Amino acid sequence: MTTETKHSSPSKTPASLIAAAWIIVSIPLAWGVYNTALGAAKLFTHLQTHAPAQIKPS
Amino acid sequence: MAASFLDRSRTVAAPGYSRWLVPPAALAIHLSIGQVYAFSVFKNPLLALHGADGSQWNLKEIGYIFSIAIAFLGLSAALFGKWLETAGPRKAMFVAACCFGLGFEVAAAGASTHQLWLIYLGYGVIGGIGLGLGYISPVSTLIKWFPDRPGLATGMAIMGFGGGAMIGSPLGTHLMAFFKGGGHAAIPGTWVTMGILYFVFMMFGVFTVRVPADDWKPAGWTPPVRHSAMISSHNVEVNTAMRTPQFYFLWLVLALNVTAGIGILEQASPMIQDLFHGQVSAVAAAGFVGVLSLFNMGGRFIWASCSDFIGRKPTYMIFFIVGAILYFLLPYTGTQHLDSVALFVLIAGLLISMYGGGFATIPAYLRDMYGPYNVSAIHGRLLTAWSVAGIVGPLIVNGILDHYIAMHMPREQAYPLILHIMAGLLVVGFFANLLVRPVAERFWMKKPPVGAMPAAH
Repeated sequence: MTTETKHSSPSKTPASLIAAAWIIVSIPLAWGVYNTALGAAKLFTHLQTHAPAQIKPS
Repeated sequence: MAASFLDRSRTVAAPGYSRWLVPPAALAIHLSIGQVYAFSVFKNPLLALHGADGSQWNLKEIGYIFSIAIAFLGLSAALFGKWLETAGPRKAMFVAACCFGLGFEVAAAGASTHQLWLIYLGYGVIGGIGLGLGYISPVSTLIKWFPDRPGLATGMAIMGFGGGAMIGSPLGTHLMAFFKGGGHAAIPGTWVTMGILYFVFMMFGVFTVRVPADDWKPAGWTPPVRHSAMISSHNVEVNTAMRTPQFYFLWLVLALNVTAGIGILEQASPMIQDLFHGQVSAVAAAGFVGVLSLFNMGGRFIWASCSDFIGRKPTYMIFFIVGAILYFLLPYTGTQHLDSVALFVLIAGLLISMYGGGFATIPAYLRDMYGPYNVSAIHGRLLTAWSVAGIVGPLIVNGILDHYIAMHMPREQAYPLILHIMAGLLVVGFFANLLVRPVAERFWMKKPPVGAMPAAH
């Protein structure tokens, strides 16, 4: 087992700092993706199916 | 004299610094500059602006703003790539943030005084330089931090460029509505605000980015002893790289892949409406453009990450072979043949994912060929292929469509020809990729450069 003191061991980046950095960039990206997905959904909600031809009684 | 905070020497990471802080730094830059692809939201508001003499700008004049920005993106990436390698990513990101933010402010002054040349100078020239520097600035740093997964690393950053349009579009729309609602001029207020917001967001990247120490490598990772012939264990200097045939084959690979993708992106909305006449409304077609954006962004990350496992050359082989087949089949999904909107959307989405994947995989391909030492500079020069494709792609599409319209022929009849030309371009790209071979020994750098990671893996 190593007996390195606190002074000699490199201080590791805290996981909370890494998480915070990812959150900072993820929030605007998620907002953008959400807005795009809302717009993309219109492709499926605004599709017009072929209306059956009306047969007029002779 | 104390070294500047921005200097490369001040950005060397201390032991224990996590490399997982570098992708968010890169994303902060790319998510910002990706706004350029959302410029179209400003077109109509710009058209509606009146000068003091009642004059108005036309669509063509406004279209030049985006074109100038993209042209300066390519130019600055090509010109400043070598400077970036010595100055370091922090200084390059800082200059990019200053240019991109300042570009908005100058353009805002142009919009409020109705002087188009100020918008060209601001958003086009100054902002365009920020785009080019920002686009390439994190690339070599990411590759040095992730020698075990260069595709994943650059894929994350370049995915951000695709995501930037998704943020820029609603942000611009909401800000314009806010300023208009408050009785202010919509465009100047929006651009002033966006310039400040993007500058601050990019500063997060500037403060967070670090370069690894010369002897750093990922914990537990050792460069594999057995080398792939397609992954160089040597570095090539940027000017020397320009003398290798590989540079020009890769330039063609990128140019042809992008040209083909633009074939769909350029005409996405009218194409789906023409091919499915009466089935797809304008609103649904706008939704289709959104679907393509999602595939574009996702493809950047997924394909670049996959390339770490299957190799860069095979990844492009998939783009060119599968892409050519799909482009050939795409027109047959229309009402005249299979009449399947779902199949059309699926194929178009796959094609656009490969378009995005081509952008995101090319830095790792360059790193494999030339080593990590000058990869940002080489990438910057290769991006001229993007500028050329941005002109050639729309020229092909619009030229053929204009011809059909002039001959009074239905527009939907033009699409098979357009899409089959794109398939043909991908076949040419396949052969260009096939010709990419390892760089000859005479081009290698003789001395191991300071700041270069061991290239082999």
